[in-house]
Order: sequence, then C-alpha cells, then structure tokens
Amino acid sequence: MKGLTALLERIGRSVGGIVGALYQAGRDAVETVLRNVLPFMVFISLVIGIINASGIGDFIAETLSPLASSAIGLIILTVIVALPVLSPLLGPGAVIAQIIGTLLGSEIARGNIPPQYSLPALFAINPQVGCDFIPVGLALGEAEPETVEVGVPAVLFSRMITGPIATVIAYFASFGLYSGD
Amino acid sequence: MDALARLAESFIGLFQEGADFFVALLTGIIPLLLVLLTFVNALIRFIGPERIDRFAVFAARPGITFLPLRYLVLPVLAVFFLTNPMAYTMGRFLPERYKPAFYDSAVSFVHPPLGIFPHVNPGELFVYAGIAAGLTRLDLPLGDLAIRYLLVGLVVILIRGIVTEAITAIMMGRRTGAGSSEETAEGARA
Repeated sequence: MKGLTALLERIGRSVGGIVGALYQAGRDAVETVLRNVLPFMVFISLVIGIINASGIGDFIAETLSPLASSAIGLIILTVIVALPVLSPLLGPGAVIAQIIGTLLGSEIARGNIPPQYSLPALFAINPQVGCDFIPVGLALGEAEPETVEVGVPAVLFSRMITGPIATVIAYFASFGLYSGD
Repeated sequence: MDALARLAESFIGLFQEGADFFVALLTGIIPLLLVLLTFVNALIRFIGPERIDRFAVFAARPGITFLPLRYLVLPVLAVFFLTNPMAYTMGRFLPERYKPAFYDSAVSFVHPPLGIFPHVNPGELFVYAGIAAGLTRLDLPLGDLAIRYLLVGLVVILIRGIVTEAITAIMMGRRTGAGSSEETAEGARA
C-alpha cells in the first residue's frame, strides 16, 4: 500500500511537471509573438501596403527584379551589401534585409523573379548579418578589448569574401528547386 | 465634396492594402509559429541548455580536426538552444584567437533555420518569411526551400568560421609582430 502511494505520488508529480513546463512554454511562445513578431508584422504590412498602393512598388520592381533574377545580379547585390562601410549600417535588427526580402517575395508572387532564385536571394540580401553587433557579440563571449579591436575588422573583411561565396553556393544549391514539376 | 470623399477613400486605400497583407501574414504564419514555438520551448526546457556548456569546453580545443566542431556543431547547438543573442555567450569557452570566427559563424546561423525552427530568431523572421510569403502566394510548397536554406547555411557558417579565423590570425600576428617604432606607423595607416 505504501509503495502504491509513493508510485502514484511520483507519477502525479512528474505529470504535473511536464504539463507545467508545456504550459510555461506556451506562455513564452505567446509572449514572443506578441513582443517580437506581431509588431514587426504590422510595421512591414504598413511599409509594403504603402509601397504597393502608391506605385513606388513598380519602380522598385523595375530596379530590383532584374538584379534579383540573375546569378550575376545577385552577386552584385551581395557585394554591395557586404561592403565594410555599409554592412554595419544595414545590420540593425535586420530591418533592411527583412524589407528587401518581403519586396522580393512580392516580386516572386507577381512572377517577375523566378521562384528558384528565392534561395540565392536569401543569402544575397543578408551578407551583413550581425555586422552591427560584432563588439556586443564578442563582449557576450567575454572577449578581451584587444580581441574586439582585431575582431571587428576581421569579420567585416571576411564577409567581403564569404558573402559572395555564400550566394554562389546557394545559387548552385538552388538547381532543381521549384522546377521539377 | 466629391473630390474630398475620393481623397479620403484613396487615403484609406493606402492602408487597406497593408491591412490585407497583414491578415494574410496573420493567418498564414502566426498559428503554426505559436504551436511550433511552444514545442521547441518545452523541448529546450526538458533538455536543459546548460548541457551544451560541457560540449563547448570540448569543442574549444585547438587543431584542424576540431574545426567542424568549433564552427559547425557548436554554433548550431548554441543558436538552437540559446537563440539570438544569448548564443554568442558560448564564445567564452574559446581561446581569444577563435572568438571572432565563432561569433561570425554563430551570427550567420540565426537566419538559415528560420524555415523550420523559427524560435532561434522570431524577431527577424521576415528575412526568410518575406521571400517565403511570395512562394506561398504562388501555391508552392516551402519545405524544399526551408531545408535547402538550412543546409546551405551549415556550409556557409563553416566557411565563415575558417576564413575569419585565418584573417584574425593574420591581423593578430601583424599586431604582435610589429615593433614599437613600426607600431605607430601601422596605427597611422589604419
């Protein structure tokens, strides 16, 4: 009898623990969406709405689509975004990458950019990822000030090389994407 | 009066377009995102993020054979379990000369998994979701793009780690190699 109560108690406790953890996970998920995802969704809806309704969209489509629908164009886009002068400015919050990504998305929907270019485009709009955050990121890793001094230019220069490489790899990896059927 | 009414209508129309776009995003992205976030949050809670600390100590060892551990396995685990920006704290287990390369590698992985694991960086979801939304409107499935984005991301972070480690080594060597007289000249050039 004593063993049975102990067993029941243990089962009850562990089930309670699991349910509690799941419930807390759901709470965290809702909070993340409310705090980080929805505000950006509203912001991007406003920007895209104005761009589309006002006709600026057509202008952007004419300049951006040709660039984003050829391998050379995408590499040119990558090199521009990866310039060590520009990349830290374009980085914060990935706002620029997210807006350009959404614009490219609507161009793909309109048929101006072939769907298989979505993969290299994901890398072409993003060679500057984290370039604004290098000192903070290194500080989080408890780096010495001398390491930060060397690390910032090292990462920025490295992106000049690895940015275009990433786009080229993604271009070759996109063969067979959305063209099989 | 008529003109005013038309003006008002086109003014509202400017935002109606955005509102329609918002509803499409809301119904298309949020429900799945919530359920997925809940699952991954619970998973991380059960596994316990402190476990990768031990792995980080192991991966910090020098040598070519540890390159894939340092710039592939460790950043992936760090980003998956600690997410952006806490993932970069894993750099504290590495020697100074590897820290910039690890950061480069980890920060480059905060977007490629977004198609499958949006919990790593939900605040910057639209780097992926913006382009994916266009494909959804063409009724194309996203699975293929999501998995290719993740796989190419893995290759790219390994390359970034290796290249940045090499560049850091060159720059650090120059700094310590330069004598006191050369150091000022070096500083002036920089």
